Amino acid sequence: MSPDAAPTPTLPRERGREIPEKGREISSEERIWSALNEINDPEMPINLVDLGIVYGVVLEGRTVRVRLTFTAMGCPASDMIIGDIRERLLAEPGVDAVEIDVVWDPPWSSSRLTADGRDALLAWGLSV
Amino acid sequence: MESSNSATFEGLLKRGELIESVSEMTPDYLRELKHTLIVSGDTELISAPAYYLAARKAPSVNAFMTGIAIIQDELAHAHIAYHILEDLGESQEALIFKRDPKAFRYPYAFDVPLESWTELVVANAMYDQAGFCLLGDIHEQCSYGPWKRGLVKVMAEENFHLRNGRNWSKRISQAGGAAKEELQRAVDWMFPLTVEWFGLPDNLKQHSAQLDYRLKGLTNDQLRQQWLSTVVPFMESIGIQVPAHQEDSHYVLDYPFPCTFDAEAKRWDVNDPCTWDDVLARWRARGPRNAEMVALFQESFSKFEVQT
Repeated sequence: MSPDAAPTPTLPRERGREIPEKGREISSEERIWSALNEINDPEMPINLVDLGIVYGVVLEGRTVRVRLTFTAMGCPASDMIIGDIRERLLAEPGVDAVEIDVVWDPPWSSSRLTADGRDALLAWGLSV
Repeated sequence: MESSNSATFEGLLKRGELIESVSEMTPDYLRELKHTLIVSGDTELISAPAYYLAARKAPSVNAFMTGIAIIQDELAHAHIAYHILEDLGESQEALIFKRDPKAFRYPYAFDVPLESWTELVVANAMYDQAGFCLLGDIHEQCSYGPWKRGLVKVMAEENFHLRNGRNWSKRISQAGGAAKEELQRAVDWMFPLTVEWFGLPDNLKQHSAQLDYRLKGLTNDQLRQQWLSTVVPFMESIGIQVPAHQEDSHYVLDYPFPCTFDAEAKRWDVNDPCTWDDVLARWRARGPRNAEMVALFQESFSKFEVQT
């Protein structure tokens, strides 16, 4: 890759996967990312963080705010994804409310896939 | 020539290897493979108009999109089967657009109309579960390489359909009242239709070339049990009654199997047991919406054909 190439976007997956140093307590936000990591897309064998559709997570008091996009505006699985996120995050200790903000800017593209996500989709037979 | 081809074929089959081309097959294997693919392609294809008629009753834009996406998946799955059939020497055009409706080989259940969103999601939870059992078995066992590989994505997509069926069935059951009663009524007529989907019981089916040729790996009764072992616990978990219960490691039906079905009224008469010959006669005659379902995708085919 040339030095002029577009910088690799900071992928949420990398933040979510951070392995805490020994003895360091995992922050609440890290815990939320890690929970999101467990949720698979309903149509493809890839988790939502690797898919790159989670744009941000903020924990305020006992409320989690998730900025989320979909791979297409007509995503037929959007209700299922929102339902899965709500159900999983409400199971986290200290979380009483989940607010999901669906955003379309920046638009999702395959450049938002993590390396693991790209591998998972390639293995499934999808060219990315 | 024939005998050397036959010896190669037997060797591949015996060693558990995959058959990759017509040149490696015997005529009997080719006939059985085509038959199995036609049943699979026809089933996927007919589910599109059947689901479409019900998806129009979706309760939200997103639910409608999900319904339409499922229909798109089913058409794609049908396309995989017909595409393979074309490679095996059949004409897709003739199979899809030029066959008499009664010549289609899909399960009788699709000739009984799905008329509401509730019936559609029950179909996703039960019919797609049947498809999942049947195709999952073919995916694992099938001796024909191109079909086995083609099914990888099909299985993942069928999962999505099941999810829609289960999520919505649960949601409708939780709504209670008239919505839950409608769900129960749908399950009441659709459950036995899916039970018979798997065909004759093993004690009446003398011989299965599909098993001999490893086109599938499980018998009709084994597949029926697999279906029951997923559908019965799920329906019970959401508070919906089904006419079957578990005894030791298998499931037992709580009604005479088979019994008579009034397709117009969508009602089973459990007090009127019948024979499998009666069931086969009902299947051969096809159900109330056979011609209408097939017409939905056949009617415009010749409209834009260039006249010569």
